[in-house]
Amino acid sequence: MTGLSGVPEGVPQIRRGIGAIDWHRLTWQMRRSPLAVVGLVIIILVLIAIVVVPAWLPIDPNRINLRARLAGPSWVHWFGTDEVGRDILARVLHGGRISVGVGVFVVVVSASLGTMIGGLSGILGGWLDTLVMRLMDVVLAVPSLVLTMALAAALGPSLWNAMLAIALVRIPVYVRLARGQTLVIREADYVKAARVFRATPLQILRWHVAPNILSPILVQATLDLGAAMLMAAALSFIGLGAQPPAAEWGAMIAAGRNYILDQWWYSAFPGGAILLTAVGFNLLGDGLRDIIDPRQKARS
Amino acid sequence: MKRMLMTLGAVLTIGVAAPVSAIGATPKDVLVIGKAADPQTLDPAVTIDNNDWTVSYPAYQRLVRYESKDGKGLSSVTGELADHWTVSADGLVWEFKLKPGNSFADGIPVDAQAVKFSFDRLVKMKQGPGEAFPDDLAVTVVDPLTVRFTLTKAFAPFLYTLANNGAGIINPAVVANEKNGDNAQAWLSGHTAGSGPYQLTAWQKGQSLTLEPNPDYSGPKPAFAKVIVKIVPEASARRLQLEGGDLDIAEDLPLDQVQALSKTAGVDIGTYPSLRVTYLYLNNKKPPLDKPEVRRAIVKAIDTGAIIDGILLGNGKAMGGPIPDGMWGYDPTITPVTADVKEAKALLAKAGASGAKLSFALSDRDPNWQPIALAVQANLADAGVTVSLENLANATYRERLGKGEFDIAIGNWSPDFSDPYMFMNYWFDSSKQGLSGNRSFYSKAAVDDLIRKAAVAATQDERTGLYNQAQHIVVDDAAYVYLFQKNTQVAKRDTVKGYVFNPMLESIYNIDTMSKAD
Amino acid sequence: MSFLTILRRRLGFLILVVIGVSLITFAISHMIPGDPARLIAGDRASDAAVAAIRQKLGLDRPLYVQYGLYIAGFVQGDLGTSIRTGRPVAEDIIAFFPATLELVIAALMLSVLLGVPLGVASAVWRDRPIDHAVRSFAVIGISTPAFWLGLIVLLLFYGRLGWLPSGGAIDPLISPPAHYTGFDLVDAVIAGNAAALVSVVKHLILPAATLGFVHVGIVARQIRSAMLDQLGEDYVRTARAGGLSRSRVVLRHALPNAMIPSVTVLGLAFGDLLYGAVLTETVFAWPGMGNYVVASIQALDFPAVMGFTVVVSFAYVLVNLLVDLAYIVLDPRIKEIG
Repeated sequence: MTGLSGVPEGVPQIRRGIGAIDWHRLTWQMRRSPLAVVGLVIIILVLIAIVVVPAWLPIDPNRINLRARLAGPSWVHWFGTDEVGRDILARVLHGGRISVGVGVFVVVVSASLGTMIGGLSGILGGWLDTLVMRLMDVVLAVPSLVLTMALAAALGPSLWNAMLAIALVRIPVYVRLARGQTLVIREADYVKAARVFRATPLQILRWHVAPNILSPILVQATLDLGAAMLMAAALSFIGLGAQPPAAEWGAMIAAGRNYILDQWWYSAFPGGAILLTAVGFNLLGDGLRDIIDPRQKARS
Repeated sequence: MKRMLMTLGAVLTIGVAAPVSAIGATPKDVLVIGKAADPQTLDPAVTIDNNDWTVSYPAYQRLVRYESKDGKGLSSVTGELADHWTVSADGLVWEFKLKPGNSFADGIPVDAQAVKFSFDRLVKMKQGPGEAFPDDLAVTVVDPLTVRFTLTKAFAPFLYTLANNGAGIINPAVVANEKNGDNAQAWLSGHTAGSGPYQLTAWQKGQSLTLEPNPDYSGPKPAFAKVIVKIVPEASARRLQLEGGDLDIAEDLPLDQVQALSKTAGVDIGTYPSLRVTYLYLNNKKPPLDKPEVRRAIVKAIDTGAIIDGILLGNGKAMGGPIPDGMWGYDPTITPVTADVKEAKALLAKAGASGAKLSFALSDRDPNWQPIALAVQANLADAGVTVSLENLANATYRERLGKGEFDIAIGNWSPDFSDPYMFMNYWFDSSKQGLSGNRSFYSKAAVDDLIRKAAVAATQDERTGLYNQAQHIVVDDAAYVYLFQKNTQVAKRDTVKGYVFNPMLESIYNIDTMSKAD
Repeated sequence: MSFLTILRRRLGFLILVVIGVSLITFAISHMIPGDPARLIAGDRASDAAVAAIRQKLGLDRPLYVQYGLYIAGFVQGDLGTSIRTGRPVAEDIIAFFPATLELVIAALMLSVLLGVPLGVASAVWRDRPIDHAVRSFAVIGISTPAFWLGLIVLLLFYGRLGWLPSGGAIDPLISPPAHYTGFDLVDAVIAGNAAALVSVVKHLILPAATLGFVHVGIVARQIRSAMLDQLGEDYVRTARAGGLSRSRVVLRHALPNAMIPSVTVLGLAFGDLLYGAVLTETVFAWPGMGNYVVASIQALDFPAVMGFTVVVSFAYVLVNLLVDLAYIVLDPRIKEIG
């Protein structure tokens, strides 16, 4: 029976459909996937470094000291200083908040919007579905960096606009994913039953579809965190992303490229930070996919 | 097919076995110039970018050219195509007698008709370079070697405008390449059709441009059989190529790279005072900057000396007034302001603007702008003024400048012709408010009066006097913050001889008289 | 569904993409604050002069008229005139696009040549050290900012070692091969110009390797996953039981079948590579679309930006269409239905 709130009663087993998350199984499997564990450890360390450490590190990332410009790594400045004497360690740590924050924002926005659109499109079907999917095809047909560049240029170069642009470009991926899964689930008996009981499409999405498509979305989202971060860095690198004096990793590499011959530390540390963080997200996402992907699960 | 196979074999053996030597000095009769960006258009009537002029300037000749003396470029002019000229007493009619024997690269002689054609085209197209010329310019052919310009209003700097890249004389035969009434603009964008010492012979877009001598050039035969302009966007790569001998001249190197290069054997760094001025626009129309006291406080708060030492590594000269050193009309008695935070604070308090919040607009057009903006932000913070930086796309930034939507903004200015008019009339005439020049939106009747008189006055002495009076008023009004004139640094191999720097010709090389030693 | 029906439907989609993409780009480029007429006229020009240029360019007309004119021109192969260079956009794209395509194809070939063996090894020795190594390599590949990697290899191979040139597509002192196809490499082979070919190959190595590095991992990952699917199939077990050697089963039977689904991934990789190319080109002075499009965006050169987006999207969809058709031809199961 479906209650007033649309909560299905008496059918708890459907929560563990093809794509539902089994946390117990997940943690058990994680131990068997060393790469995923490495990824997880990296992410935890990076998060500690960028969230906790700056709180008690007494260095202002934007303080200029023209007398200490372009100083190499030392006990005072572990990562050296930049062309106006700012401490690169402090900037890398603070910049991480921006870079990782961009990744999280983009993924949360595009995954939730994309899942909603894709799920509803799949449930409703018909011409609306066709229209939505064609539109997504068109968006997917434009090379993503070009679209983000054009959007960032149109809306004005700022980190916020770059984030919106990247989120927009990532939406179709989730729409397709969610719709594909929804089409399968739609035909399940319990969903047909819910329809008979006049559940609204939103209710079906919330109570029947969403729990079942969550894990592929989660895997995709984890993988996307790294990609979104890299894309934001790329936009900043060509001047369409984060603006001064904000420390963002891509922008720091862009500024440091002119000093790369004599002051390697300027671009090496932010570059290494991006690489490390993206590796963390991708290892974790890869491992999760291996564990969760039903096709591969059958063989493991 | 066999040939193709042999070629492939050659690649496999040579390409893999032999290490590619980076130290390959370019041949003696070839000059290779490394540039950061591809030129956009080479049409003299369209381009307003020095980056294009590297190629277009030596391809065309003009009626007059800048003089040089003892290896030093001067801002005075002498005849190039013109042998001599006369001007009427009222300054309205200019008559030029052309030298015989100058020819375009196809052998057609340069005559008065070609001069008329070029200026008519320039005025008709009304694009960027046309702006430097009076729009009521009438050109008449008196005889094949005599051309007459008639103005409706006296314009004292007229002669100097004729040495501009825009005043290049174009071969009238280009009309054959005209498409849809575009005045052959599409064709001239990618080709040259002048009588200068060199002509463009190949342009591999985004990669390199090749200039070769004009066989019909009337002057002495140039030393280089080829001048190659190579596009190398990455500054570090330009430096490496110069060090390795793949480039003879590397443009646009960041100061730190130049400093490092100055210690490299085989590389020669020339440092020349330029007329390129970096300054801050203070929006005179927008409170609280509409009060002169607030503007004076800003000027007082900014430590220009520290900016020059810290950001330019000392490669600049602090300015006190609008006319830079090296341009006639410069007044050495107007000295640069020394920073004084206390006084700045007092001025702000007096004006009731303590703790003001101001925006600072900049773009990534010049890599020094950002550190300067950061330094200004820190200076003003010390004086209790909060500055928020707005780094805009260059187009957006210019649009905001034009509309006056900023409090403080940073800009560079270099003169199109060697006359203080370029500074005084553009920066302070209330009719030029906005992007055209008066970017601080300054307005004062007395100054308008002085500078407009100076623009038509007959003698240089009289003009200097008028400009001088005006300078003292605008400096007192703190219309702008004059930061510095930057030194131009030219990084080249030490084998390259005969380069003459002219502050009016940045990024332009006298490739016809340069040469290479062994 | 017949082959023709699919073809017709996909061609219809191609038209839809062109309209959709041009509409999106048109809308975007006209949202950009800034006035291209002002950029042409120069900062110091009067407002009247700017207005005159705006009128000449048709920028004063209503947007739908401008768009209509654009589409009308597009159908005739006219992409408008670049505001920045004053040349026809089509001419500029023809000058720049082949270089980008050349770089993308080189990178793609590199990633397939390295990625396929790695993916097979990874699948065959699943969960063994080699599998972990390949997967770690794949992850590092997709996690590396291409622009940063480009700077590093440039310094290493040009700056320190001096083995390879620092940028560009061919040594400017070598006379380039005649333009047959616009692809320097192919042109040099056709012309039999050995010097040019050596120079072109040397110049291609660093940018292609940088761009391909990211995709080696992606290809390896895809092949690995498809191979695992195949190795789990009944026919593989039957063949093994029937006494065929392991390597024979893997290389003769499983790999060809695993390649088929991987073909579609190549189409998608093409799009990613185009995106990567824009960044790689700026570092390596590669004379492709990357620098051109960045400069055009900065100069508000609407016709150039639109022309670029439409042409690239068109190429992308076309490549994917060809890939899908190849897939239909290759895959026996789909042929049966058709």
